[in-house]
Amino acid sequence: MAWKPELEELARRTAMAQAMGGEDKVRRQHEAGRLTVRERIGRLVDAGSFHEVGALSGTGEYDADGRVRKVTPANCVFGRGRIDGRAVVVVGDDFTVRGGSADASIAEKPLMAEDMAAELRLPVVRLIEGSGGGGSVKTIETKGASNLPGGIGTTRSFWRMTANLAEVPVVGLGLGSVAGLGAARLASTHFSVMTQASAMFVAGPPVVARLGQALDKQELGGADIQTHSGAVDTVVATEDEAFACARRFLSYLPSSVHGLPPVQACDDDPCRADEALLGAVPRNRRQVYKMRPIIDAVVDRGSFFEMARNFGRSIIAGLARLDGHPVLLLASDPFHYGGAWSADACQKVVRFVDLAETFHLPVVYLMDCPGFMIGLQAERTATIRHGVRAMAAINQSTVPWCTVIVRNAFGVAGAAHQPAGRFSLRYAWLSAYWGSLPLEGGIEAAYRAEIDAAPDPTARLVEIEERLNALRSPFRSAERFWVEEIIDPRRTRALLCEFARLAEPLRTPGKTNSFAIRP
Amino acid sequence: MPDRTVQAEISGTVWKLLVAVGDAVAAEQELLILESMKMEIPALAPDAGVVQRLLVAEGEAVGEGQPLLVISAR
Repeated sequence: MAWKPELEELARRTAMAQAMGGEDKVRRQHEAGRLTVRERIGRLVDAGSFHEVGALSGTGEYDADGRVRKVTPANCVFGRGRIDGRAVVVVGDDFTVRGGSADASIAEKPLMAEDMAAELRLPVVRLIEGSGGGGSVKTIETKGASNLPGGIGTTRSFWRMTANLAEVPVVGLGLGSVAGLGAARLASTHFSVMTQASAMFVAGPPVVARLGQALDKQELGGADIQTHSGAVDTVVATEDEAFACARRFLSYLPSSVHGLPPVQACDDDPCRADEALLGAVPRNRRQVYKMRPIIDAVVDRGSFFEMARNFGRSIIAGLARLDGHPVLLLASDPFHYGGAWSADACQKVVRFVDLAETFHLPVVYLMDCPGFMIGLQAERTATIRHGVRAMAAINQSTVPWCTVIVRNAFGVAGAAHQPAGRFSLRYAWLSAYWGSLPLEGGIEAAYRAEIDAAPDPTARLVEIEERLNALRSPFRSAERFWVEEIIDPRRTRALLCEFARLAEPLRTPGKTNSFAIRP
Repeated sequence: MPDRTVQAEISGTVWKLLVAVGDAVAAEQELLILESMKMEIPALAPDAGVVQRLLVAEGEAVGEGQPLLVISAR
């Protein structure tokens, strides 16, 4: 055979790539309860579908005769694979080679992975561990000079990191300790997941100790910290669950902004009318109720995929299907400040409305919002700034929109329930009620003179409240056509499925020009 | 399993205690009710267990993340 030596060398070098950082390092990775990057890719994508790009890259060692003795692979593994039969790009850090850090990286590899995703219009899944190819102080010695962050010719990856958010679905999985550039690559995604055992931070405990903060990895950047702060969307127990999350997220989305969310066959009756919906909201307005069972009752059975559950908790956000059509679903959670929009809830609204706008997902909002959060803490966190950003996101959206007012709609946040400048569908449940201001506390201010002049001010306050409440029936608003429809809650699913079918031909592929998405 | 501290998910005032030390509780059971944003918002048991300690009293103002009570492992 003419090319036998070369063929053998190809096989030998391929085997070296498969060996990653060597038996010892692979064993340590396993002993720490983590999979290797190649195992991760194998479990993420459809069996046998991974096609690697650049497997031969790394650092070679040669004997005196110029024959290769060993190649330490570059610590970025990337290529193409399939998820549920659809092509994706996967790029992963190999922690067994120099802890995934810069001294063993080839910067062109992760960049090409991102370029390939954009050019081939494919989703990208990042498997992140370590500093994601970012710096290590050792680099100063190995390169003999100190890196200017972003220096000359290396900033392109940062541009691409943002540009891809407006092109293709980007998923980040944090699978170990994630720091620096790795943390940036995890946060700059449409959907990020970390395992319970993982940690993510700008800088790790040894550096933070210099600030006088003696914290371990979990205390500093564990899932509890990062999912409540909103830096990471979802926490899972195992790496396999993280892969399942990535696959499920992608199932609702087109492969790029140039496609449309895939519509599936639906075996759940679009007209299913759950009896429980009629009693879901208590008559007593001081009492709360659980929103998630309501969501489950109206979307296709089992189709709700919640994200960022621990962040901005007065808003529930996720993907769902209605008669097989993917939608972005927002819903209030009265268990969290009665559903009032805090600063973080507003940030959550921006992020998920932007996601819907980018990937042509119609939006459904099950609303129960008594207003923006009030009080000193709310003012300190710039609730109104984040509130108007959320309103801007809603009003800049162009995707089909449907709101169901389940209970409260009060104040400025009450107006933030539909895009104001265009047509959208809106339904109010029998339990809905609304106003510019809640009565409580408002009466004292508006009727101060009348109350003060009354012989029994307390009795007069109650009397005024009863008088105003009588006028507050949503039916009176419907008479004036201030609300289009008041519905029996049991009809909600049928109407939402109708909305999803009406919205189907309105979804328009292509890059959105109504705004520029940011992480 | 170690004892679990149930924390306030929201700030508010303790409106009503629904359990006492020694009570067995089921997962998702309402333990106490906070008043916040003029609403009665229950704090739920994260798991089944027995109430070991109450850390707040009715009428007390609590902040987000403040420990409310301790539940034992089963």
